[in-house]
Amino acid sequence: MSDHRVMIIDDEKIVGDMAKLSLEQEGYIVETFLNGETALVRLAEQKFDVVVTDLKMKGIDGMEVLRTVKSLYPDTRVIMITAFANLDTAIEALRGDVHDFFPKPVKIKELKASIQRALGG
Amino acid sequence: MKIENKIILSNVFNIGLILLIGFFAFQNLDLMLTKLRFVEIADDLNASFLEMRLSEKNFLLYHNENFLVEMKEKIESTDQMLDSAGTDIIRAIGKDNFELLKSYLKHYSYIVEIIRRKAGSDEFLDARFRAQGKKLREFSSTITRLERKGVNDIIYRSKSVLFYSFLAIVAGAVFVSHFISQKILRSLREIEKLAKSISLGNFDRIEGEIPADEFGSVMTAINSMSEELRNREEALIQSKKLASLGILTAGVAHELTNPLNNISMIAQNYLELYDKLDRDQKIDFMDKVEKETDRIKEIIKNLLDFSRPKDANLKAADLNTVMQKTLKLMQNMLDISNIETKTDLGMNLPPVFIDEHQIQQVLVNLMTNAAQSMQSGGTIFMATRCCRGDSVEIRIMDTGKGIQPEFVPHIFDPFFTTKGEGGTGLGLSVSYGIIKNHKGDIRVESKVGVGTTFTIELPVYKNQL
Ligand SMILES: Nc1ncnc2c1ncn2[C@@H]1O[C@H](COP(=O)(O)OP(=O)(O)OP(=O)(O)O)[C@@H](O)[C@H]1O
Ligand SMILES: [Mg+2]
Repeated sequence: MSDHRVMIIDDEKIVGDMAKLSLEQEGYIVETFLNGETALVRLAEQKFDVVVTDLKMKGIDGMEVLRTVKSLYPDTRVIMITAFANLDTAIEALRGDVHDFFPKPVKIKELKASIQRALGG
Repeated sequence: MKIENKIILSNVFNIGLILLIGFFAFQNLDLMLTKLRFVEIADDLNASFLEMRLSEKNFLLYHNENFLVEMKEKIESTDQMLDSAGTDIIRAIGKDNFELLKSYLKHYSYIVEIIRRKAGSDEFLDARFRAQGKKLREFSSTITRLERKGVNDIIYRSKSVLFYSFLAIVAGAVFVSHFISQKILRSLREIEKLAKSISLGNFDRIEGEIPADEFGSVMTAINSMSEELRNREEALIQSKKLASLGILTAGVAHELTNPLNNISMIAQNYLELYDKLDRDQKIDFMDKVEKETDRIKEIIKNLLDFSRPKDANLKAADLNTVMQKTLKLMQNMLDISNIETKTDLGMNLPPVFIDEHQIQQVLVNLMTNAAQSMQSGGTIFMATRCCRGDSVEIRIMDTGKGIQPEFVPHIFDPFFTTKGEGGTGLGLSVSYGIIKNHKGDIRVESKVGVGTTFTIELPVYKNQL
């Protein structure tokens, strides 16, 4: 079992709760946040291997989280989830920077597989 | 009756009056002519009588037979003259007088004949001769005098008849045209009143009795136009609502994805971890699913409420609640456009008398415009405030690109848009119609590059209404 750290950011509390419950079964250390601000504070004190973030949030949104992680913590992978169904252009733009992209509703199995790939497993 | 017919009738009446006057004037003139002709004849007669009396005097002075012959000839020619002008004279002085005149003349001629036969003077006969001549002359000059007076009377009478009928015609014409124009003006005033209220967006009807004339047809036409406009406006409101619905649906669809995703993730874990979950966890999961379904139900209900066509239904309502409901409906669309909202809802707002869904539609239109004016994000500030006079005030302020001053007078016109294919130009005109129907007011202030503020005033609900 791995002791990789995964951060989940989504203003929908259930998303974090459910992802955490499932990922903890695999042995990941999971922390959840409801907004970008608290998440970035925590990132400054703790290194995470994977950040899963919602794109659209009040205040600091997924894009800003992505930019901050890319510039400050280049080793951390970012997976983006979003409720926007057709943001093809946005996805295109993100392609180089994000590890993966999931539209809601999210398939937890696929998310887990993606995290595994991100960790080079 | 049609105005056209009324005018024709009044003209016919006046023409009739004029003809009648003409007829009387003609008759008078005719009478006057015969009288004048008689006066002429009478003058001739008088001259003859004068000559006869001259001969008579000469005879009585000189007792010369020749004078009697002369007289006899005179009397005969006069008698002939009387006969030839008989009808004219009878018409002028009447048959009795005529006969009297003739009999006097005959009597005179008879005396002349007797005197001639007797040859020689006789006191008695001479006296009778003189008396008869005098009588004849007096009679004829009396008649002449009377006839002169008659002519004068006729002239005087026709003068006054003409004068009074002239007065009557003028008075009649003035009265009739005053009466007709009064009716026309009254109808015009009604029509003007309605036209004004239509131009203000109130599609009223002309109430009360519709006259049976041309204006009646105009009023009926305007009434049906007004009704048609009202129907069109309702259709317009509905079609604009459906258009806004398109914009809203994008936001709402997104809004639905979140609870759907939540239910889906709960379900995935429930199946995957079924054996590992304890009873409480399973119950908690299902509770959450139930709550998420409520969320979906609420979103759908909002959308349906908004889209359903309804007749305007004015009720006492709390504006702040309406504002919040609308904001909820719009929230996702605003989020997507990266627009922040700030609200400043006045405390202790009195209820307003509104159709909630229509006002909601106005707010949707204004907020959509605000959002569209801030392509790269911004802030919409929404406020309610009590009270300006009998009205509650709503303000929707944005930090968008503003409206160019030359466009400001046109933004409430139907189909005015600066958005090309992207806008129908109906949002504000429909909103304006709705607010006017609420007896409210909507106005705009805008500064290019700074932002735009729409202010709405709605009447406070009064119980006694
Ligand atoms: N908040 C605003 N900021 C800047 N311009 C505005 C604003 N509100 C309205 N306008 C101007 O007024 C015009 C008319 O608005 P209106 O809502 O009637 O039509 P539209 O938005 O163009 O089309 P529709 O609402 O039918 O999609 C707009 O095209 C825009 O130019
Ligand atoms: Mg508009």
